[in-house]
Amino acid sequence: MLLNTLWLKTYDMKYFIFTFLALLSLNNFAQNTTVAAGEKLIFTASYNISGLLTDIAQVKMETSEVKTSKHTLLRLKGTATTYKKWDDFFKIRDLYESYVNPKTLTPYLYKRDINEGGYYKFMQYNYNHKSKTVKSLKRKKNKDGKTWDENKVLNISATAKDVMSTLYYIRNLDIHKATVGEQQNFKILFDNKEHTLVLKYIGKETISTKIGKKDCYKLVISIKGNTLFKGTNDNLLWLTADKNKIPVYAKFKIPVGNGELKIESATGLKN
Amino acid sequence: MKKLCIILGFIAAILAVILAVTPLSNLAIFPLVIAFLCGLIVLFISKKQKNKTKTIQYIFLLVIIALTLTIYKGVFNGNEIGDTEALEIREEENLKDSKDILEASEINDTY
Repeated sequence: MLLNTLWLKTYDMKYFIFTFLALLSLNNFAQNTTVAAGEKLIFTASYNISGLLTDIAQVKMETSEVKTSKHTLLRLKGTATTYKKWDDFFKIRDLYESYVNPKTLTPYLYKRDINEGGYYKFMQYNYNHKSKTVKSLKRKKNKDGKTWDENKVLNISATAKDVMSTLYYIRNLDIHKATVGEQQNFKILFDNKEHTLVLKYIGKETISTKIGKKDCYKLVISIKGNTLFKGTNDNLLWLTADKNKIPVYAKFKIPVGNGELKIESATGLKN
Repeated sequence: MKKLCIILGFIAAILAVILAVTPLSNLAIFPLVIAFLCGLIVLFISKKQKNKTKTIQYIFLLVIIALTLTIYKGVFNGNEIGDTEALEIREEENLKDSKDILEASEINDTY
């Protein structure tokens, strides 16, 4: 009887230690060690026309602190602006925002406000992680210039995130622990649909950038069941192999051509 | 051969000028090269036949105009950002609106 009780206690203790360690490791994995408020990354987006790369737009990614009466959140803001010479042909003024937990990078609110060559669209996701739902708002303009709204409640996976928070979440991954060929799936919510993004680590590479020569993690991005980002090695992302994991270079291929995203400057980095 | 080169040279030279005016000015290089080569061939044939053609001058004139515009744009027209005032206003409005939404939302820190 005594032995039995002792064994049970030992078993309970073991179980407790195991659970504690598992939770601790999970907590460590989720902690944001890469991104801080005040970070500003500027990129140049180029498009390949007849073999010649033409600079089309400037892409900015900024982080800032947002305070509510109870919480302090991290605002991840991304903007895309076409260069002046393109404005008369196809003017782009896009805004992407995600308000996330600064410690875990879990999103609470996402906004996509795009204006592309006269086409306007606004998307808003208000997350409720407890019920695994998202209150979605879609706003569009009709031909008369009047806006109309579409409200929906979407059921999402526990790990589903928007584009902005996923990008920053990827930066926070322990890529140095990954082996070449290892891949991870991410659930992405885009246009009221959940997609599975597959990220594959294919090795390290040293590349020359505007911010210097950098050792980088080379990653392949693909979306399952999506023709836009096919599962081949056409869509690549280079993240610096340091604590900041800055996205310095990206190559993408779409049905109507291919393009590049190159870093111009990086300021306010955490590490 | 001469006629073909004149027609091809003219079309390429006009295309080069059109492209040089648009933001795709760096694409004007391809028709520029074609027009220039056609011009040279026509010049070579004309010298052989010992007759003068005005069209060569026109092709080279268009080539010079397109080349000047392309070089000028490449040197002086850098990547300048256009008017972002409307975008900045939208950013401010969105931030204010987001704060109100977040204030009203139940934020659970455990997630």
